Amino acid sequence: MLAFKELKKSYAGRTVVDIKDLKIEAGETIGLVGNNGAGKTTLFRILLDLIRPDSGEILSKEVNVAGSSEWKNYTASYLDEGFLIDYLTPEEYFIFIGSLNNLSIADVSEYLKNYEEFFNGEILNRGKYIRDFSKGNQNKVGIAAALMQKPELLVLDEPFANLDPTTQIRLKSHIKALKSSQRLTTLISSHDLNHVTDVCDRIILLEKGIVIKDFYTDENSLKELEAYFSE
Amino acid sequence: MLSTFLSHQWKDFWRSRNKAGSIVAQLVLGFFMLYFLVVAIAVGFGMPFMIEKFFPGRDVIQIFNGFILYYFLFDLAIRTQMQDLPTLSIVPYLHLKIKKGTLVNFLNIKSLFTFFNFLPLFIFIPFSIIKIGGTYGALTSLMYVVSILSLTIFNNYLVLYLKRKSINNILYFASIIGFVAIFAALDYYNIVSIRAFSNYIFMAVVKLPLLGLIFTAAAIVIFYINSIYLRSNLYTEELSTKDEKKVSTDYAFLNRFGKVGELAALELKLILRHKRSRGSVVMGFMFLFYGLFFYRMPLINNDQFGMMLFAAVFMTGITVITYGQFMFAWQSTHFDGLLINKIDIKNFIKAKFLLFTISCTIITLLAGFYGFMSYKLLLLHLAAYLYNIGFATVIVLYFATMNYKRLDITKSASFNWQGVGATQWILGFPLLLIPFVIYLPFSFLDKPYWGLAALGAFGLITLSMRNFWINLIVKRFEKQRYKIAEGFRE
Repeated sequence: MLAFKELKKSYAGRTVVDIKDLKIEAGETIGLVGNNGAGKTTLFRILLDLIRPDSGEILSKEVNVAGSSEWKNYTASYLDEGFLIDYLTPEEYFIFIGSLNNLSIADVSEYLKNYEEFFNGEILNRGKYIRDFSKGNQNKVGIAAALMQKPELLVLDEPFANLDPTTQIRLKSHIKALKSSQRLTTLISSHDLNHVTDVCDRIILLEKGIVIKDFYTDENSLKELEAYFSE
Repeated sequence: MLSTFLSHQWKDFWRSRNKAGSIVAQLVLGFFMLYFLVVAIAVGFGMPFMIEKFFPGRDVIQIFNGFILYYFLFDLAIRTQMQDLPTLSIVPYLHLKIKKGTLVNFLNIKSLFTFFNFLPLFIFIPFSIIKIGGTYGALTSLMYVVSILSLTIFNNYLVLYLKRKSINNILYFASIIGFVAIFAALDYYNIVSIRAFSNYIFMAVVKLPLLGLIFTAAAIVIFYINSIYLRSNLYTEELSTKDEKKVSTDYAFLNRFGKVGELAALELKLILRHKRSRGSVVMGFMFLFYGLFFYRMPLINNDQFGMMLFAAVFMTGITVITYGQFMFAWQSTHFDGLLINKIDIKNFIKAKFLLFTISCTIITLLAGFYGFMSYKLLLLHLAAYLYNIGFATVIVLYFATMNYKRLDITKSASFNWQGVGATQWILGFPLLLIPFVIYLPFSFLDKPYWGLAALGAFGLITLSMRNFWINLIVKRFEKQRYKIAEGFRE
């Protein structure tokens, strides 16, 4: 699905991303962990062609993401509020994103019905613009809009941050369900080791842009990670 | 306590993130203000001579008296548009052990330090001291000064109070400006004379100087009303925005343009739902009156379009200039979102062309009222309009790819220099100079109409090449977008 080759990016002489060779298979759920400054968000941004790498490339389905927008047809993502058009109401935003994916207004409202539980009555018909919502609720809008696009590849940056406990649990089970029903490939970054080990089947640990560990999760993973980070 | 607040404000300014930018902006702004103050002082000291020059043979003091209330009426209108509420800065203090009264005092004192409060002092006080004092004696002179001060303070707090009561209410702004306009019109057509009224009042002050204290009383009353309102509403929520239900809207007329129309609708919402962009739109309509300064009958009769070309291009293209100069930066908060979504950049650029074309057309149609002055102006406008939609749009969008500065569009537009960079300055030159370059040769050959025709033809030709321009800009955009996105993220 994805291949990272000799990928390098540095800012003012400081290396932020330095990945020699990394492959991700279709259907995998990847958890990206690492302390602040490990290069997780930068890596995601390069993957989404928002930042140009200094050298190297990322191939998505064998096509370089930079310079082609082929990947947009099957990739959905939510990194931060910068992805939301914050002066729209959530309904307008969903309709807009839907229209980009050729979904009619009816399709969109049909889809949103499935998310009533996820939204917990906080999002729709509140008579507010997205910018007036709390950060957690903005997150919900962004994640739901990403999932609405029926992606094959999903990229989420710290999706659990700012979410209330109920929604965290719902999101986890939702991602797991999508993985088995649609063979969804997911990339998640998180500081919460519990969540990551729970939902992901492969963990990639970054430090200063370099892959330190890369392993499939088992019952010992959480302990292993905790041990690593408490050093 | 107040001095602590002031020192915090001082630090806030000097330590702000885009310090260099804001200092330059303040300097430029400072120059403008200095200019206005110098003009005001000149007007203040030169008042007796100016009155004699413009109203020969009339009583100087009578004219001066008539002018006072008239000035403060316009002052009110301008303040409603331009004066900012000093509110947000108090948020970090609200939860601390500080008395509400102290905060209210701070807000009240801070609000006094506005340009609008200094201007009238320079205009009116010299005359009050020199001429009034010379004619009627010290006490009358003193009461004139007190009256002017009181009126200034009255206006200051009245505007703040009204603004606080009805934040973001366009209707309210429109009604105050309408109110002033009606009074000005009534005065102009001699139905109700504000000048006579003003003169009457101040002649009363001359007879009975202590009457001036009525203004002081009014100022004190409005000051207290404002303070009481502030004190009882010192909640961030109530100070910043009035919560009204936001509704989803759909612009049906744009739907016929398909995907491009959708993007244009998105941008239209952006314009209507943010303070800064709304301000630009209002400014665009205000500039419709620009022609009144530039269009003169002698120029029109002699077909000297060169002298009026600037105004015509500026007026009909005002949306291209005000909105275009910050192009892409308007969307800086969600620029990443636009890039990762399935949006064809071509459509994205086309949507902008569409918006420009629609807005220029509307403004040009509205500017049609100059046709009453002369049909020639309509020809001039047509040429300027074609140039604007044909080529000015291209310049603006091309330069937009060099603009990396994030724009905060939730703040008001007037005197707002945030996000202004070199691009905005460079942009203006080609935009406004090219029409002259095209027109002038014909003007020298004494063929002004050919000049207009050439400008119009240039506009039409560039308009017909639009697809070529779009491809050019898309290519440029593809190259620059990483840099733009990076700049907008900061």
